[in-house]
Amino acid sequence: MPDSDEPGMIANRIEKVRAKREAGSERRHFELDDRGFNEVPKKWRKFYRHWEGDGDTLGPNEIICPVCKVVIRSVKELRPGDRLYCMPCMSRLLVVEADDGTLTTEVVY
Amino acid sequence: MADFLSQYSIQRWLEMCPQGYLEDTVYGHSPELKEPDIVVDNELLREESIRTTVQLVVGERCALAASSGLVNAAPDFPSKRFLATQTLDEARHVEICTRRLFDLGVKEEDLESTIDDFVNPNLVKFAEVLLEKVSDGDFIAGVVGQNIVLEGMAFSVFEMLEAVSKQGNPKFAETLSGTIADERRHVGFGENRIGSLIREHPERKADVEKMQAEMTYHMLATFSDSFRGNRAAVEETRAIAVAEGAEADTAEWHGTDLASASPEDMEAVLADTVLGEFKTRLNRIGLEYQSPPVPA
Amino acid sequence: MSEFNPHSLDEDEFLEEVHSVDFWFHAVDGYLRDRTYGRIEGASHPDLDDTDRDNLITTLCNYCIGETAALEASSGLISIAPNRHSKIFLATQVVDEARHLEVFLRRLRDLGVEDPESEISVRANPHLVAFKDRLMELVAGHDWDAAVFAQNVVLETMEYTAFRAHMSTADPATAEVLDGVVKDERRHLGFGENDLGRRLMAMPEKRQRLAEIRRELDNLVLATFEEVQDSLGADRSRRVDLGSEYLDAIERLGLT
Repeated sequence: MPDSDEPGMIANRIEKVRAKREAGSERRHFELDDRGFNEVPKKWRKFYRHWEGDGDTLGPNEIICPVCKVVIRSVKELRPGDRLYCMPCMSRLLVVEADDGTLTTEVVY
Repeated sequence: MADFLSQYSIQRWLEMCPQGYLEDTVYGHSPELKEPDIVVDNELLREESIRTTVQLVVGERCALAASSGLVNAAPDFPSKRFLATQTLDEARHVEICTRRLFDLGVKEEDLESTIDDFVNPNLVKFAEVLLEKVSDGDFIAGVVGQNIVLEGMAFSVFEMLEAVSKQGNPKFAETLSGTIADERRHVGFGENRIGSLIREHPERKADVEKMQAEMTYHMLATFSDSFRGNRAAVEETRAIAVAEGAEADTAEWHGTDLASASPEDMEAVLADTVLGEFKTRLNRIGLEYQSPPVPA
Repeated sequence: MSEFNPHSLDEDEFLEEVHSVDFWFHAVDGYLRDRTYGRIEGASHPDLDDTDRDNLITTLCNYCIGETAALEASSGLISIAPNRHSKIFLATQVVDEARHLEVFLRRLRDLGVEDPESEISVRANPHLVAFKDRLMELVAGHDWDAAVFAQNVVLETMEYTAFRAHMSTADPATAEVLDGVVKDERRHLGFGENDLGRRLMAMPEKRQRLAEIRRELDNLVLATFEEVQDSLGADRSRRVDLGSEYLDAIERLGLT
């Protein structure tokens, strides 16, 4: 099911950091496509998708919401300090760098 | 009872309401519509529109508190389920009326003070009578107060406002039209569900009728303040609105042309219509309408 | 650049958007439009054998108790909600909970249960009933923080975890029903954590009391969760760990 949880997530985070470093200081921009996420109004749908489980990977513009585990997508490559909103669970998030150098999020209440 | 209540499923409500007459609306109206410039730009028209909308917000907040408060007092799941849909309907009405205040230039931080400044104190008393019954967990009195008296009043007020706004302010008229469609379900449930409960509990009649008389008293006092007590503003704003095209130059409603009627005539046709509805509906559920003392 | 970008909204705009009835209308439309009572129209599924059917009835009866608790608690909380966003959001939750109860009752009838209310009282899990009673005490006592914690963090996280676990093993008809419910739960648990998180930031002294409530409710919740998994016949070695998501939320809120 698309709602399955985060196995493999660490590897994805590492992949993301590596991709970020390779990209240097230039931020990549992304054209988002609708990935079938139907839990928010149409105009917001392409900014979210379900985590597909083993075999899924996060793009450099994607991160998992710690509250509801939906994948949040941005039109920009993510960097520490970026603010994101998870509309499915109404959380405000801040992108931060974890101790291992990967990107993660903190919930901003 | 089971057959009648089965039509109030969440499934049916979803099909009728969000997927039905509210589909493609944003905050209750077509996305391209907005308040007419004259209503926002003319200070007198704007202030009177805010005054009117504040009464709607207060009435809808009362209905939200009452319908949600009655869920726990309901004696069966079908009634709880209906009241759940009514709770969301009322929350939507609070939202779209609040949104209109913002559209009229009220700032978010001034919302509560604006409501305090403009609310009619008689309307607050009207709400307090109902919410006391709800807080006591009195399902029969609560539903009569909410779904017959409050909704009966709101139904006619919204119809009257819609008739006045239809030509000049389609955004407000559309918002009211969706609300009226919701109210139709609410009064229908009130009559159908309470009719059987009153037959089972005839001993409750006197108390419920007393509440109806009290609520009616405060309602008529609210109408009196809004029309006769506010005569100069009512006449002036209407003249500007008609001249500028924000209201129709004729708006027939229950045999009265609202565009040319005096404030006394408008109050009379509204009160007469609402009281007529009360008498008919109360009679159908086995209650006798009680005339309140005439407000000073 | 997209015309609509949620991440570009001001915080106030974001909160106004996600707590609105309008947002709710368009959100649920995405996953409920093609469903009737939570089921995909026209889909037919094979009957269950007697043991699976009986286990499922017990589970659904207890889901109904949880949803009734949530319906009564969320409606009771509206009058004490501290701001208009919370009142409006809770109104959407009220109708979500009523819908969940409706679809579970409908599923029970599909399974041949003629009088679901009697069946629910016979099969009720006493720990869940005790949890419901305690939740309703908190609501009746107008204890906003504790009631939101009990309902939107504890109960919703348990349901969210349990329903998703059940979906992965359920018969197709039950899985369809659970799918729509899980999507609603995401909003409910998110509201609870974010509302409490904001209030605890402003009033950190409330943490100690909520931590005590948490200790009181933990036993009831964990016992219920275990027993629901028993009724589903889940192998103990392969059970879903309720703790991971629940404890994550508790830790983020500083209630450990």
